[in-house]
Amino acid sequence: MSRRVGVLRFPGTNCDRDVWQAVEMAGDRPEWLWHADRFDAAAYDALYLPGGFSYGDYLRSGALAARAPAMRSVREAADRGVPVLGVCNGFQILTEARLLPGALVKNQSLRFNDDWVELEMKNPVPHFAGPVGPGARVRLPVAHADGRYYVEDDELKRLQDNGQIWFTYVKNPNGSVADIAGVKSEKGNVAALMPHPERAMRNWMGGSDGFAFFKGRG
Amino acid sequence: MAESTSGLDTLELDAKLKKYRLNRHELGLITEILGREPQGVEWALFSALWSEHCSYKSSKVHLKKLFSRSKRVVEGFGENAGVVDLGQGERVAFKIESHNHPSFIEPYQGAATGVGGILRDIFTMGARPIALADYLCFGEPAAPRMRQLLDGVVRGIGGYGNCVGVPTVTGQTEFHESYNDNILVNAMAVGLFAEGERVFLSKARGAGNWVVYAGAKTGRDGVHGASMASESFEADSAAKRPTVQIGDPFFEKLLIESCLEVMAQDLVVAIQDMGAAGLTSSSFEMASKGGVGLRIDLDEVPLRDPTMTPEDVLLSESQERMLLICEPAKFAAIQAIFHRWGLDACKIGEVRDERLVELAWRGETICRIDPDALVERAPQYMRAYKPWKARNRVGGEAEVSTGVEDGARFLLSLMGHARGTSREWIYKQYDSRVGAKTVRDCSDSVAVLRLPGSGRGLGIVLGCRPHVMRWDAREGGIDAVAYPAIELASKGFEPLAVTDCLNYGNPEKEPVMSEFVASVEGMSSVCEKLDAPIISGNVSFYNETMGRNITSTPATGLIGLRADVDGVPASRFTREGETVFALRLPMAAIGGAAQELTRQPATGYGQLEPSLIAPFTRLLLSLTGARPGGPIVGSSRVVGKFGLAYALARMCEGGVGCRIDDEKLKTVRGELSVDDLFREHLYEVILTATPGKDAELEAAVREARGALAMAAFLPIGRTGGRALEIGSLLRSPLDLLAQAYGTGVWARMETGSDKTGEVRA
Repeated sequence: MSRRVGVLRFPGTNCDRDVWQAVEMAGDRPEWLWHADRFDAAAYDALYLPGGFSYGDYLRSGALAARAPAMRSVREAADRGVPVLGVCNGFQILTEARLLPGALVKNQSLRFNDDWVELEMKNPVPHFAGPVGPGARVRLPVAHADGRYYVEDDELKRLQDNGQIWFTYVKNPNGSVADIAGVKSEKGNVAALMPHPERAMRNWMGGSDGFAFFKGRG
Repeated sequence: MAESTSGLDTLELDAKLKKYRLNRHELGLITEILGREPQGVEWALFSALWSEHCSYKSSKVHLKKLFSRSKRVVEGFGENAGVVDLGQGERVAFKIESHNHPSFIEPYQGAATGVGGILRDIFTMGARPIALADYLCFGEPAAPRMRQLLDGVVRGIGGYGNCVGVPTVTGQTEFHESYNDNILVNAMAVGLFAEGERVFLSKARGAGNWVVYAGAKTGRDGVHGASMASESFEADSAAKRPTVQIGDPFFEKLLIESCLEVMAQDLVVAIQDMGAAGLTSSSFEMASKGGVGLRIDLDEVPLRDPTMTPEDVLLSESQERMLLICEPAKFAAIQAIFHRWGLDACKIGEVRDERLVELAWRGETICRIDPDALVERAPQYMRAYKPWKARNRVGGEAEVSTGVEDGARFLLSLMGHARGTSREWIYKQYDSRVGAKTVRDCSDSVAVLRLPGSGRGLGIVLGCRPHVMRWDAREGGIDAVAYPAIELASKGFEPLAVTDCLNYGNPEKEPVMSEFVASVEGMSSVCEKLDAPIISGNVSFYNETMGRNITSTPATGLIGLRADVDGVPASRFTREGETVFALRLPMAAIGGAAQELTRQPATGYGQLEPSLIAPFTRLLLSLTGARPGGPIVGSSRVVGKFGLAYALARMCEGGVGCRIDDEKLKTVRGELSVDDLFREHLYEVILTATPGKDAELEAAVREARGALAMAAFLPIGRTGGRALEIGSLLRSPLDLLAQAYGTGVWARMETGSDKTGEVRA
């Protein structure tokens, strides 16, 4: 059954068309959701927040986008249990919206970093990365300047205790606390990661590990 | 011009000419065209549009002779970018442009706006930008300000390109003392038209149509930028900072999306970005090309600063602005699209039949002038030059010495030297995969994108090797096209078309102009033989600081096409036990880059023959292109700077070594010495056969070589092991090479140490 998938577009989002293509490759039906418009939170089987530089990343990465009208609908959908996936800037937006814990700050190198990284799954998010289980490794591209995940110690412990850490880096590229590359919400339907699964859908892209992130539940 | 009708005395006139960077001869021409002396803003208009940067007055007579047509060319020179038809409904627009002077004054903004400007040239045509490439020349890393310039340029390119969401997929970075006081920052952009998408032009048409201004507001930044870029640097480059523009990539991203949407809905008649010389060049050029007139009300131009004068408004180079011509009935729809993307669009004027551009300010007409006077009638100078004569030639091989005795030690020092070390520190700061089309990125010798419609491969590569230019300008010009064309062919891409960015010193100096003419002729002759026309580009003269000129540097960007993206040969050895072959077209040999590092005089022998380049690329293509039975070439690399040993070391980067048989090498090269491993033989390609395909590869060469009897092809060794071994001449463990190559000069860049890698022969 193909799913109806909403892809959010903010001014400055630049991975929107790539995510659209990935959703189509996985056999689902993408639809644009515009930042300035509310939408029906019950209408979509999944929501994707692509990467980019929403609102130019002015103020802080994701800070302005988190306050866009469409994000109120994303929050409603998240509350109803709709799967929501944020990638890169989408991750930053979800933390700024407090739909996910923590914050993403400037890389330790203070530079933009484009590379391939290896990730290890800690806790599964069945909606995304389907059948792959804990301990599984995937290889995906990263491309970010503000990808260093940060949480205070007590919150980190809570994430660990609740099993909210989705992926860690095998080799930490940006100084993230506890090598965290991706986290999920307490309920588990909202998840995000810094690496870009939509850029690793086919072997010619350099790898196809990203495909599973768009396939949905097993 | 002894008597000035405007009543200016000689001193005042000289001051005015200096301010507007015009000379007395040009003032005479203007006076003749207008039938009177220029008045008011006309001074500023002529200053901008007759500047070297806008008018190409020193180069036009030579550029006219460039090979620029083929059956694939949809649009060539004269438009914002060239457009090439790839067949199967796909077309690409591409162009390379310089931003040298601004980048030397303020590296971050200079480089960033260089990227922004070249992107606008592409999406102005209606193409969605899909790739960026950068050709950078820096001085010696230890030269004053150089680390700051390198860091600023790289951050600027990344800051802009990453944010607008266009991947940077390839580049070239040179270091040489001739750029110590004048760096080069050339940016290339490639855009794609999908099937059925229209090409938009800048010809204004239709009396009564509206002139629409869209994008960012106009400020004082970049006023007089075009004429600044047309002048040599004196000691005061810091004082020119106010002439550098400031870019906003977020705004550009919004402009890309809104402009492409407006074009997709077929709402505009013509469109042009406001680049060098801002509103002046865009409006006058649109009118001139369309053979129409315009009336523009400068009071309607959205300003950041209400105290700006009409001259400021006309010459501002504020970024991220576009000029559109539309039918009045379509304006509301255009405005709605721009508003949706958070941008402004407003009417600032109208198209008229009468071929005059009329500018109004505060209710008065301040200028009424034939656009052709500014755009078409700029002077064209035949600057003094001498015909080309081969130079730095010696009798034969023995005299082309690099002076290297300890090959392993020299190779190791090259791997860590600024000129030989990894560029990873640079390109890791660029997003290489946004757009999800990237197959091969900056870590490869040729960038590859997958065309989404047909699934074919688009190859992109930059060219021009300054050390070859320093040896001989004509050979360097040939090489600036031949070398990248052979690189494309070594990966199975047929070279289709070329863009060039001609960076030279002061054209009023005969040696500079002689190199310009010789190299451009060399380039063009190869293009013609390859049937790969030069379809776009720009000229950057006056790369001169306090009397010192840069190495003449005709940077090129080539695109190539391949039927698939699956069988592209690797640039590194990937499997143990593959046979290593050398394919050679011996025309010339030079001491080259190694000779420069060992401080020997530049020498070489032989001469490049343009007519042999095309059959050589065809021979390569018959081996490396898509084949029904699967690929027969596993990996390939063109032997470039520093010669064979360095090329092989680069092929060993993947962790698979190789063992070269010195007796076989002697058969193929006719000579055997440590020295020769670092000479540059033009041209030589290293190939490996995929497992079990040795015989098939050899047969394919035999079959295809007919037309090129002088090409040599022989097995020289096998892949495998953890070292690079060339007979008894050289043995280097891979981990040592990798360590030197990977850390190189960049760790020192970050820590601020002045050491830039020592070379020991």
